[in-house]
Order: sequence, then structure tokens, then C-alpha cells
Amino acid sequence: MSLEPVSFLPAWPIALPDLAKFCVALIVAMLVGEWAERVVRLPRIAGYVITGLVLSQFAGLINDPSLRLVSTLVDTAIGMILFELGQRVSFGWIKRNPWLLATSLLESGLAFGAVFVVLILLDMRAPLAAILAAVSMATSPAVVMTVARDLRAQGQVTERLMLLTALNNIYAVFTVSMLFAWLHLEYRHDAYTIYLHPVYLLAGSIVLAGAAAYLLLGLLEYLDKRRGTQVLCVITLVIVATMLAEALKFSPALTALAFGAFSRSMDRKRHFASLDFGDAGLIIIVAFFVLTGSMLDVRFSVTALLAALGLVAARGFAKLVGIIVLGRPSGIRVRKSSLVAIGMLPMSGLALLLARDALALYPHIGRDAAGILPAAVLILEIVGPLAVTYVLRTSGEAGEGGHHGRP
Amino acid sequence: MDDLEFKSSTPLTMGVELELQLIGPRDCDLTRAASDLLVLVEEIKHPGEIKPEVTESMIEVGSTVHQRHGPLNDELQVIRDVLVSAAERLNIEISGGGAHPFQRWYERQIYDRPRFNRVADLYGYLAKQFTVFGQHIHVGCANGDDAMYLLHALSRYIPHFIALSASSPYYQGVDTAFDCSRLNAVFAFPLSGRAPFKLTWGGFMDHFHKMRACGIVESMKDFYWDIRPKPEFGTVEIRVCDTPLTVNRAAALAAYAQVLCHRLLADRERHDAEFARLGEDLYLVYQYNRFQACRFGFDGNLIDPYTQHMSTLREDILATIAETYQSAAALQATQAINDLVYLTRIEGNDARWMRECYADSNSLEDLVWRQAQRFRAPAAVGKKAA
Repeated sequence: MSLEPVSFLPAWPIALPDLAKFCVALIVAMLVGEWAERVVRLPRIAGYVITGLVLSQFAGLINDPSLRLVSTLVDTAIGMILFELGQRVSFGWIKRNPWLLATSLLESGLAFGAVFVVLILLDMRAPLAAILAAVSMATSPAVVMTVARDLRAQGQVTERLMLLTALNNIYAVFTVSMLFAWLHLEYRHDAYTIYLHPVYLLAGSIVLAGAAAYLLLGLLEYLDKRRGTQVLCVITLVIVATMLAEALKFSPALTALAFGAFSRSMDRKRHFASLDFGDAGLIIIVAFFVLTGSMLDVRFSVTALLAALGLVAARGFAKLVGIIVLGRPSGIRVRKSSLVAIGMLPMSGLALLLARDALALYPHIGRDAAGILPAAVLILEIVGPLAVTYVLRTSGEAGEGGHHGRP
Repeated sequence: MDDLEFKSSTPLTMGVELELQLIGPRDCDLTRAASDLLVLVEEIKHPGEIKPEVTESMIEVGSTVHQRHGPLNDELQVIRDVLVSAAERLNIEISGGGAHPFQRWYERQIYDRPRFNRVADLYGYLAKQFTVFGQHIHVGCANGDDAMYLLHALSRYIPHFIALSASSPYYQGVDTAFDCSRLNAVFAFPLSGRAPFKLTWGGFMDHFHKMRACGIVESMKDFYWDIRPKPEFGTVEIRVCDTPLTVNRAAALAAYAQVLCHRLLADRERHDAEFARLGEDLYLVYQYNRFQACRFGFDGNLIDPYTQHMSTLREDILATIAETYQSAAALQATQAINDLVYLTRIEGNDARWMRECYADSNSLEDLVWRQAQRFRAPAAVGKKAA
């Protein structure tokens, strides 16, 4: 009698579901993040990004970034981050100190101009260069918010960093949508699109955000103000609002941002306590940065890398000039304005998605040109958190590191 | 020692120091903003002094020296307006109040610097809990003996200042049941309490030198007493007041101190005789009275150390004001004193106002917000019609 294979044992190798693989990646990321902070003194999130990058390139743990649950989680994370950032936007402050708006317009304008010029010098076609320049106006809200929260930072540099980040993200969304409309014009003969598309997107997002804020404050007034209730209301409404925005072809990012801003400015009775997602929020943050890392593309040429360095330098310098020039009138000294400017360096991983859309319109573009933005994002995903950490520590606004004593 | 030489100043002049809270408008918690605020304030010409404090979420303002309540009040309003306009550019709020209602002491971080670490090592959790905000009132004295006389004569009235200024009913997120919880944080320090019963400057210097020889203190700054002499200013300094919610209240409290000192100097012979009779027994009821004032405000009991007669603090304040009305008139302080009468009789102190706000909105964030609005508002606004 021959030996039969034992039938209750699974076939080897076992097929692990993607979600389980992804969770293993998260554990690895947390370990790397911890190690980065303790041993190398790098910000944790740089560790998460590097983990995502390495695992997706070599280990195949994050083969499928289109994981349903995960991508939903990440969309929610972005929505929550933008909502929280929006809460930092005080219309009253801008009204009382209009130099802040001037600073914001100047730094974004200069960054757009500088990046555009660099890309044109690198022989890129104007419409594409314009889109990439518009994308690079934006500072990464995720990096700024996460590092600031990790360090429990508070003070002028922190506040301005957040305000300017919120504003330049709004400009970026607006400009990119306008430029896309303009590009589409080359294919469709419809002059209205150029104006109507951005207006539809902007007005729609704002109206939707206003309605969501109204609803949220109504709920909070009615419900018991325990911590859990508030977090639950915010998370659910952010998900509903951003998904509606998606469906209605508004901008989900703008909607979440405006939702946050309105829910604060309309909160006359102060129903809104400050948000605290607790430790559960951490997994979303880790997932977000691991996925961001996994989206990074390292297969760019040396030429692209050099061009990207030029782009990063031009962008950083433009922001530095813009913020320092108007720093004094807006009420802070040169040292603090330069810190704010350095903190503005992180570039959003979302830029990649936008850039991919843009590049799709130009299938025949050279490999070098296509690699510039991914290379720039890669540099800034690593350098960005470092810059923000440095800025918040140097300005003395960091409360403490991740480990704080409990009573 | 020469550092303890009492610098003579014009009798009955007065000055005020206020420690103020810097608030982030988003969460209404304390925020780090002092150094940025100071940069902006330096650009604007203003009277008095605006100074940093150990923590970045606190700022201290000091008035110049004044003879009368009116100009002091005006000056404090100017300083307040300068502060508020600078704060607006930085998106922060400024608030009075003896303690922040809900900041968590265990979240206060001691910065990783040698000086702070030494304090933290020595005092442990006390160092973190000591984030409180007070008003200091200085009254000028011709010489050290006068200062020591006023110091002890004023001790009977310390509960008045506690009840009139009390504005720290909430602390660490709870209603403490005290009108003034701030002093509980002060009492925990070993060199707090009352000054020794020395009636002359020479006697006091002697005490100080002994303490220094023991290595307990290095300078006058190490004493956290409720009232202490300030030789370099030539003043006696009352330190028990919570920072009131408005600068006008702060000015009125200074005027009250001035009026009391005026009267006490006139009654000096009688008091000297009482001091001789009572000796240290002058302070027999001191702790009891102080506790009653902190805990119950105007409703607390006060035992007169001279007669052992017990009455409520409210009655005692009103009786004292009635007795000193001549002095108030002579010092052109009747307006300020009338305000204090109104508040003692009808309106209640800031602690009561704060409890009413909280009862209304059930939110400590909202309370802090309203405190900040009250700090900005001119005196007339927000005051109930008489």
C-alpha cells in the first residue's frame, strides 16, 4: 500500500489573502518606524514610507495596492487628515492678518513659476509642465499633520505651516482642474469647459462641505458630547461627504478640507471639542504611509533624478523666498519664517496620481521626463518628514516625542 | 547685606503685575506663543512692561507706578489693547483667570533643559502643576519699617483679596468646589505661606540672613509668601490675587489695597498696640480665614484676629469698605471701591461668573472662549445692569 498525502494539510505554498499580507507589512512598518526613530533619529513616517517602498519593490507583500478595504481605509485617512487640516484654517485670522493670504499666494505662485521654468528648461511641453508645476505647489497635508501631532507641536510656526498648507492645497486642486479643462479643450471644442469645470468643482465642493458641516454641528448639538460620539460623527460624515463628492465629480480633497474649515467657523457654540482619534487612528496613518511608499517608483534614470533635484531645489527656494519676504509684515521674524518655509517642503504623494493622469495624456513623452515627478516625490517623501520634524523641534514648538509620561 | 537695602518710595503709590494665559482659539487650551507675541508687542509703543515668563503659554504685564486709580486703570487698558491687537495677528487669545480650567498637568512637559530639569527633579509633579496665573499688587512704602508694619496689618485683609479676585474654580478639567483653587497649588511649596512676625526691617533682615546662612534661600525671590516686602522696589507686595478676568477688576483691586494701606497708616498707633498685645497670635486665625476665602468666596467665614468675632467675608468686606470710605475719597478711588461693593453685594466674583457660563454651555472650552472675549471687552460690556 502506497502512502497517500495527508489530506487535511493545506497545499503548499499556502495562499495568504492580500489583506493578511498587507497587515504583515504594517507590522514590519511599525517596527521599522520605531527603529528609525530610536536608532537613526528619523521620523517614524519616513520609516513607514521606506517599508512600503522596499516591500512593494522586492518582497511582494504589497502586490496589490488596489486592495478594496485598504484603499477605502486610505481614502478615509486622507479625508480625515484634510478635515483636520481644514479645522486649522481660521477665516477670522486671515481677515485680521491679510498678509497671511498674501504670503500664501506669493509662495504658491513663486513655487509654480520656479517649477514651471525648470521643467521648460528640461524640454518639457508647456501644458504638462504647467500641470506638474501646479501639483508641486501643494505641501503634503499628511506629513505636516502627522509629524505635528506626533510631536504635539503648537505655536506660530505650527499654525502657519498648517494654514499655508491648507491654502496651497486649495490652489493646487483648483489650478490643476483648470489646467485639465484646458488640456481637454485640445480634444473637445468646447470653450466653456475651461471655466465651467473648475467653477463646478469648486462651487460643488464648497456647497457640499457647507451642508456636511451644518449636519455635523446639528448632530453634535443633539448628541451627547462624549468623545466617541464626536469621532464617530466626524468619520462617518467625512466618508459620506468625500464619496458623494467623488460621485458628483467634485473634488473630494477640497470637500474634506472645506468641511473641516466650515465645521469650525460655523461652530458658534463650540460644540466641537478638539479631535482625538486615539490609538486606533495610528493604524490608518501607518497604512497610509506604507501605501504611499508602495506607490513610489524607483525605476527612474539618473537624468530624471538630477532633474528632480533641480525641481526640488527650485520649489524649495521659491517657497523660502515667498515666505520670508512677507514674514515680517505678517508678524514673525526671519528665523521663524525660514522655519515655516522649510516645513513646507513635503510634497504630497497624491501628486503622483495627478501626475499619472497628466502623463497619460502624453503617451509619447520620454522616459526621463516621466521620471522627474516620481523622483521628486521620492526625495521629498524621505526628506519632507525630516524637514518638518527639524522645523518643529528647532522652533521649540514640539511638546515632546512619541513617548510621554502618563499619570 | 546691600542687596536687602530697602529703597524708599513715595508712600501709597501703587503698581500691578498680571500673569496672563495665552490660548489657542481652536481647542481653547494653553498654547506656546509668548516669544512671538513679545516680538510684535515690541513694535508698538506702549506704557508699562510686557515680559516673558518661564512657560511659553504665559505672559506677564506690569504697570508703571501710579498715585491714583484712574490713570492706572487707563494704562492697563492701553496695555491690554496692545496685547489684544498683537494677539490677533498671531491668532491667539489672551485670557485672565487664576488657572486654566482644563489643561492637564501631566501633559505639561518640562523642557529638556538643565534649568527646567533641576526644577522638575526638586519639585516632581508640583513643578508641572504650578501653571497658575496671579496678580501682584505693589504699594509704595517710605521705609522698611513701614513695609513690615503694612505687611502684618494687611494680613487680616488677605481673605478679602482672595474672595474679590477668585477666578480659578475649575482646575484640570473639574470643578474644584473652591472659588480660588490656584492658591492650593502655591501652598504646596515649602516657602509659601506668611512672612515671619518681624515688625522692623532690621528684624526681618536678621531673619533673612539666618535663612540664607542655613542655605534655604538665596534671595527674596525664593519666598512665595502671600505678602512680602520688595526692598528693591520699596514696596509691600500682595500676591494672593488670582488674575481677574478683566484689567479693570485688577485696577480696582489695586485701589482697594491702596485705600486699606492709607487707612492702616493712619491707624498705626492702635495697630502697634494690638501687635504688642497679640504677638504671633495675630496669625492664629490666618490659615482658617484664608481657607474659607479660597473655598467659599464671599460666603466664607472670617474671624477677626483682634476681636475673635466671626462674620461672613461678604459682611466683613462691606463693613471694611464703609469704614475706609474717607480714605477712598481722599485717594479718588470711590469709583473703584463702588465697583467692588457692587460685586460683593450683587454680581459675585469672577469664579461665580465662570460657573454660570459653564452651567449655560456645559463646555469648558466655551468657558475659556468667553473668558477671552471678556478680557478684550471694555469694562461696560458684559456687565449686568445695576
